Amino acid sequence: MKRRRRTEILIQGDERLADRLAQSIIDTYECREIVAPQYGLTMIKMRESAKNSLFYIGEVLITEAKVEIDNCIGIGIVVGMKDELAKQLAIIDAAYKADLPETTIWESQLIEAEQIIKKEQAKKQAELFKTKVSFETMEV
Amino acid sequence: MGYVPVKGGTQAIEASIKRLKYERLKGQEIIEIKTIMSTMRGMIDQVMSESSLYSPYLAALSIKQAEGSMEEAVFLMRAHRSTLPRPYYSKTVEPETMLVERRVSASFKDIPGGQVLGATYDYTHRLLDLNLIEEKLEENQQWLQNYQEELRDIEDFEEVKYFPKVVDYLREEGLFEEYEVNNTPPIDITKQSLQFPTTRSERLQVLTRGQTGTVTSLGYASLRGYGQVHPTVGEVRVGTVPIYVEHPNKMEHSAEDEFYIGEIKVTEVESFVPINVKNENNEYELEFEIGYGICYGQNETKAIAMSILDQCLEHTDSDFPTHDEEFVLLHIDSVESTGFISHLKLPHYVTFQSKLDSIRQVKKGVQGNES
Repeated sequence: MKRRRRTEILIQGDERLADRLAQSIIDTYECREIVAPQYGLTMIKMRESAKNSLFYIGEVLITEAKVEIDNCIGIGIVVGMKDELAKQLAIIDAAYKADLPETTIWESQLIEAEQIIKKEQAKKQAELFKTKVSFETMEV
Repeated sequence: MGYVPVKGGTQAIEASIKRLKYERLKGQEIIEIKTIMSTMRGMIDQVMSESSLYSPYLAALSIKQAEGSMEEAVFLMRAHRSTLPRPYYSKTVEPETMLVERRVSASFKDIPGGQVLGATYDYTHRLLDLNLIEEKLEENQQWLQNYQEELRDIEDFEEVKYFPKVVDYLREEGLFEEYEVNNTPPIDITKQSLQFPTTRSERLQVLTRGQTGTVTSLGYASLRGYGQVHPTVGEVRVGTVPIYVEHPNKMEHSAEDEFYIGEIKVTEVESFVPINVKNENNEYELEFEIGYGICYGQNETKAIAMSILDQCLEHTDSDFPTHDEEFVLLHIDSVESTGFISHLKLPHYVTFQSKLDSIRQVKKGVQGNES
């Protein structure tokens, strides 16, 4: 599974999944910490919808970590102050980079987690739609 | 004018800082960060927006440290931000990726997808709720449980819906001008000082991090005649947008190799502004332009006011203060304006003495032209 999709699942879903996947790698391989979890900023670039141009809305606090497995460097980046998750994401990223056999087994777990996320998001949106206005024109 | 160093205040300053701590602690109550995060949503959003740093946790900490002073909290956040590295710039956040929590239009009753009120104070009675004085955790838990049960009967959507903008429908009808996608790299005002005339990207960045009260007041001033913009709100949206960053290694720059890093909540507004333009026959015709407003968190008044000022500054006119970009952009920042005003209370002994000396000399009649 490619990085964009798996990071969506690992960050939006239950954080225990990232912990579990990272732990299975730590138990089997040597994971060298290149950069310990540290805080930094990401500048957010946006497109405005009036004239379709770009501008910077501001910065967001992130936690970043880097880990090396089998000469492959993995990076973990997450919004907020989340040291553990950043490190777990870096380990998982390195595992994919090193093409470790575990990553093939993870596929089904990640897809299952993705379905749960989508279901929860749809449920949350359906709940919000209870506040949808149903206009009726009144006779005067 | 020069500055003259003086000493003698060290002990007094130390005592003053101790006194400040005493003021925060003397009530012998501790407000937890998580309490601020759970209950002070509006303040957190305002601090994040004005400091231009999205971090609810740090915003809550700054509010705690500043004892609720907004200007102090924003100052603390800006100062903290300046200590952090900025290793990444995000990929462009496209507005249509917003997962909408609230969406209303003042221009159309029926908008495709419907008007969703979400959570809003708009329809509440502005009466103090005296029941909150004796609020009990158990009662709140019971309320939450009942609310969850109410929601249980709602039929789930099959999948999440993403809503096109109201303005997109009007553009399809040819009622609004279409603009080509413009990928000109924006200027970052935190890296490059403002030069006038400014670019659109600079204006939007200054406005979105402007002090809420100032943005609102100047937007209001435009409506009252100190500007020429009186819009109708086309759409107000509140929701979350996903943030992606590129891998630092250029070999991994495909969209699928990007990092998803999380989401931020924003309020976004498009205001429709009527303007008169001359057509081919040299006759005046009514057209609409769009004013754009956006800010971190849920702060609809600020975003609407920003959309007014955006439109004002697109049509500079020195006859109106809200159309004067130097006037608006140089006075709208919280840290700059509160910093400059509050520095006036710091010692100005020498400059003031010099002015006093001048007045004394005038009074004594020893001016050069008399001698």
